[in-house]
Amino acid sequence: MPVVIQIPTPLRRFTGGRRTVTVEAHTVGAALDELTGIFPDVRAGLQRPDGSLRSDARLFVGAEDIRGLGGLDTPVSDGDVIAIIPPVAGA
Amino acid sequence: MAGCGALGSASATLLVRAGVGYVRIIDRDFVETSNLQRQTLYDEDDVASGMPKAAIAAQKLQRANTSVRVEPRVADLTASSAEALLRDVDVIVDAIDNFEARFLVNDVAVKHSIPWVYGAVIATYGLTMTIRPGETACLRCLLPEAPAPGSVDTCATAGILGPVVECIAALQVTEALKLLLGRTDELCGGLAQFDVWDRELSVVDVPRQSDCPTCVQARYDYLRAESTAETVSLCGREAIQISVPRTQPLVLTELAARIRGFAPVQESPFMVRFCVDGREINVFADGRAIIKGTTDEALARKLYAEYVGT
Repeated sequence: MPVVIQIPTPLRRFTGGRRTVTVEAHTVGAALDELTGIFPDVRAGLQRPDGSLRSDARLFVGAEDIRGLGGLDTPVSDGDVIAIIPPVAGA
Repeated sequence: MAGCGALGSASATLLVRAGVGYVRIIDRDFVETSNLQRQTLYDEDDVASGMPKAAIAAQKLQRANTSVRVEPRVADLTASSAEALLRDVDVIVDAIDNFEARFLVNDVAVKHSIPWVYGAVIATYGLTMTIRPGETACLRCLLPEAPAPGSVDTCATAGILGPVVECIAALQVTEALKLLLGRTDELCGGLAQFDVWDRELSVVDVPRQSDCPTCVQARYDYLRAESTAETVSLCGREAIQISVPRTQPLVLTELAARIRGFAPVQESPFMVRFCVDGREINVFADGRAIIKGTTDEALARKLYAEYVGT
């Protein structure tokens, strides 16, 4: 089922400037796999070399942090929006 | 104000003009030409003066509203300085340019139950979150640890568009004013992200983490860090900052007199500036030095040892 992944500004250079990417997936983890399959360079901003989620990468389904749901196994359904919030340090 | 660069210029201006009774401006740095595109409190005369940002900001803001007490603190937020600099205020507004110091602010804020407003910007994008210790998620609920060096964009690699600074500062100050007014039920209640280029604003919920080392376990890892000499490469600049814990204060007039024997010296009550071997060495009263013209930490430490001493 199609879900929309919102790409934050700092990662858009890895997605050809795309603000959103729509993928077919049943879980957040599967959606990320689809995303990194299309845009492999975005992987470094989200995952460690072993494929686990970087501790500083925050993912939300709707407005809810996936850590309070089921992590990467969090189910997603048709039309859900996955938001990625990157760490930002500048001032 | 923790930091007075881009976000700090905008937020401090809004706070002082709003009539907040007392504003402490903490910043470790001086003004450079490359700052002027987004750090709106400063101008080219300030670059030439070599004065620290905190002193310039306080002087200018005091003229904007003489009924507010504005206190400049030319200092670096470190494990040994952070509590003394921050623990006696009502609200901390974050305008810091690095994660280490932000985690220190989080430690002090949680330990002393001080609300604070996180804010950060990069390129056209920014984030802000209001943190009320014990009530909301803290910074380590959001980010368990600082990102690895080199793993995120910096102002050097991605730049910062001036308008996004004003937008994020406006959101931060609005939250700070609500905190000061006790209107806590009207706070944002989440992490707001905004892209000024695309006009996209959204808010997500950040839950408290039951295993948070800071706000649940009361473990203040960043405050407990050993006090040792630290070298930090400064964001967006070919410069190294060296912080050396000192048991005795550095007497700038004595240092200036020593250096004047072999090199021209620019001196103010806040700092001494001189050049050796093509590098510009800026020494502050708290013993810190910013050495410009190198990214080599070993060389920077050597120059510090040779000309300032430890």
